Amino acid sequence: MPDSKPHPIILGAVLAGLLIIPLVVRDEYYLHLFIVSAIFVVVALGLNLIVGYVGQLSLAHAAFFALGAYVSALLFFNLKWSMWIGMPAAAIVTAAVAFALGWVILRVRGHRFVIITVAFAEIMRLVATNWVDLTRGFMGLPGLQIPALYVPGIGAVDVSSKERFYYVVLAAALLSFYICYRLVRSSVGRAFVLVRENEVLAESLGISAFRTCMIAFVVGAALAGTAGALYGHYIGFVSPDLFNFSYITIMLIMVILGGKGTLIGPALGAVVFTFLPELLREASYYRMVIFASILVIATLFMPRGIIFPLVEHLVPRRWRKGHDRAA
Amino acid sequence: MTALLEIKGVMVHFGGLTALKDVNLAVSAGEVLSVIGPNGAGKTTLFNVITGRVRPSLGSVVFRGQAIQREAAFRIARMGIVRTFQKTEVFGALSLVEGVLAGALARGDPDPETRAREALESVGLQEKAHLRADQLPYGDQRLLEIAQALAAMPQVLLLDEPASGMNHQESAHIVRLIGQLRTKGFAIVLVEHNMHVVMTISDRVMVLNYGETIAEGRPAEVRADPRVIEAYLGVQKTDARAG
Repeated sequence: MPDSKPHPIILGAVLAGLLIIPLVVRDEYYLHLFIVSAIFVVVALGLNLIVGYVGQLSLAHAAFFALGAYVSALLFFNLKWSMWIGMPAAAIVTAAVAFALGWVILRVRGHRFVIITVAFAEIMRLVATNWVDLTRGFMGLPGLQIPALYVPGIGAVDVSSKERFYYVVLAAALLSFYICYRLVRSSVGRAFVLVRENEVLAESLGISAFRTCMIAFVVGAALAGTAGALYGHYIGFVSPDLFNFSYITIMLIMVILGGKGTLIGPALGAVVFTFLPELLREASYYRMVIFASILVIATLFMPRGIIFPLVEHLVPRRWRKGHDRAA
Repeated sequence: MTALLEIKGVMVHFGGLTALKDVNLAVSAGEVLSVIGPNGAGKTTLFNVITGRVRPSLGSVVFRGQAIQREAAFRIARMGIVRTFQKTEVFGALSLVEGVLAGALARGDPDPETRAREALESVGLQEKAHLRADQLPYGDQRLLEIAQALAAMPQVLLLDEPASGMNHQESAHIVRLIGQLRTKGFAIVLVEHNMHVVMTISDRVMVLNYGETIAEGRPAEVRADPRVIEAYLGVQKTDARAG
């Protein structure tokens, strides 16, 4: 079924390439894009579990991302907790909120599910905007910092520069990829695909669709919360703008046009669709027209997305060693 | 023989419509019970009640002495009651082995692939294990449904029109297969319109009409029952002039 082991040579080359990026990319702006890409890899992998693997269109994912950013920021300002504690705390809180929300909404399907996730995201935005005593409303929470990382045997390491923070977000992206890889290859991951393909049949054979969807929903939300915390500390500012609908739009583009239901597709989709709008800046006023055109054409003519089929096409089958499929 | 599955006084109402009215049924291990009746008689509703997809308004479903009519569908399947569907249900985009292992996976089988391959072999689809389910011809898809159910290691197997749309050769294969499953000790409840299949394989036959049981007994008894002939089998008209 999904995601077997990649070829060791491919894996080694990709890892080496990722590790040397800060050494070869000297432009701060492009390094910034790589950092944001890596954060969105975490987000896209989480959303892919829900949209790609269990086939539920959740529009609450950007709200989990923003919630993670707020949780870590509030812990930073109110309790002086560093990002290293705030980040797992954000993951736990978003997972808990997703569990409570999922308990209600994972009993419905189709348009009702989609509408409730939109409503949830909107409620979260209104809370962030109007609970001024806690969140400072539209003024947001500026001044977030990236704390030093304590490494046993070495001591405190400053990771606030872009070159070093890149490695932090790269570690987060790789760890997220590994978690998702293990999950989708486990019996739970197989159940994801079975429920997506035929929920009535899966239930009649003994698989709980509710439990299966809940696992995807909670793990996906925890990843979004983690990414939100990283993003907030990296940008240094958290505001209700994080709940904007544009965030969920770009997240869905990363997953769907990357190749939902695979791991490599949404991960590469996160990188491509972070860079693409920026690279199109050369086209000035026509930038968003070109970007939107690419999206429309890809959606119409490439139902499996752009990135994953491209990888399938370019990488010889013998090197893929079973690659990730299940789409 | 002690019944493995019992339905006691089940009533099902859909709004003002009574889909099942005081239906009773019992099936034991190694027995084939066929449920027949005209379209809309309540046969599939009966399956839906047994498998937890429809809750009865009244009455109980008892499996191995335990009332299960309030249990969720997936729990009932894990207990050991698994069904096939009137309209073919397979995991179309997955390979046969990937889909068939679902039942084994749900039961926490440590080696679901092996269980899936055994199930495919038992219906004669082992050579096609790598194909996508939606690439199979219709007859093979009906067999695949049975393999899916078998991989869940059920004790009670509910087969909803397994021979529907099949030619004579394929129906004969289904009859042989059901016979083998009976020998292995499965309790089988069969809904089927193909009277040849029903009369060949059944130990007992139950006839539903408008949600009510109008007859139950051995195949030959039921076939001769005037109420069954009138409601379902039909009267064979003799040509007086020919005699």
